[in-house]
Amino acid sequence: MTKSAKLLIAALMAIALFSFSDAALAADSWGLPDEEEVRFDAKVIDVLCVLSGDCPPDCGAGKRLLGLLKEDGELVLPIKNGGPFTGAVADLLPHCGETVTADGLFTINYGVKTFAVQFLRPAQGKWRRANGFVNEWAAMRGLEAKDKAARRWFRSDETILEIIGEQGKLGLKDKGIEP
Amino acid sequence: MRRSVKPIFYAFAAVLAVCLAVPSLAASAEQPRRVTVTGEVIDPWCYLSEIMWATGSAHHQCAVWCARGGIPVGILGDDEQVYIVLKVENDAGVIGHRGILRVQSNEVVVEGDLYERDSIKYLAIDTIIDDHGIVNYSHEEFDIQPFGE
Repeated sequence: MTKSAKLLIAALMAIALFSFSDAALAADSWGLPDEEEVRFDAKVIDVLCVLSGDCPPDCGAGKRLLGLLKEDGELVLPIKNGGPFTGAVADLLPHCGETVTADGLFTINYGVKTFAVQFLRPAQGKWRRANGFVNEWAAMRGLEAKDKAARRWFRSDETILEIIGEQGKLGLKDKGIEP
Repeated sequence: MRRSVKPIFYAFAAVLAVCLAVPSLAASAEQPRRVTVTGEVIDPWCYLSEIMWATGSAHHQCAVWCARGGIPVGILGDDEQVYIVLKVENDAGVIGHRGILRVQSNEVVVEGDLYERDSIKYLAIDTIIDDHGIVNYSHEEFDIQPFGE
């Protein structure tokens, strides 16, 4: 086999591998109402900033609602990420003001369209699973995101334990009603 | 002659710059509407996705989990509209806000600015007029959502 043929095969294999990995990162269906698997480019923005002109320089440092502003002007609300009971702010904040490619699910119900982001790719960057909250939560406790305690973070989070401890699982402890 | 023209030119340039800048800023912001909303503080993800029963006491624990996990908080109004909360008492730090975690599932009466954009109603609350606590005892029908514990 000639050197040029070997190079061609290597290039084709690289393209195939890249294509496969890209396809493998396509959104999984969750069976949501009026669900649509989507991939789009958008700028990470502070929603309040876009709506009201109140714009801190850092998108609110993770405390404000973040959104995705598409080039056609549509403001998409990423209401959920790929983690259990977690939103997408931790995934989006590092890209505040930047354009990213988002992969996930649109869902429309009661006339409200929202977005569950499953994967993100920064400009010139690699695809990453949108699991930022659990990653950060685990790292702060010296855990790996794959650890059972991290995957079940909601059962051991200190703030949750404090509030559910006070209010009860039904929120009715003050009325003497508990499960 | 030149000396007298320069300041006028700079002043004109400055005025022109302001005139160009102000409309573009104003155009980028939406015009809100003052509203009073009565409704239940909800986790809008579980409600809109219908992955479980998502209102009242049955869903209280899950609503706390989701708010702590950074999912936006909403109010399901008496008008059956979902309002996504942008601010509470003028605090825009709503993600994981402890005060908001503590009022999950409560029925509240709030006043604020409503912005509507791309099918979503965003509410910047400046005043909590009333907090009735949890009035929707959905656990009597649905048990604890999810997992039953």
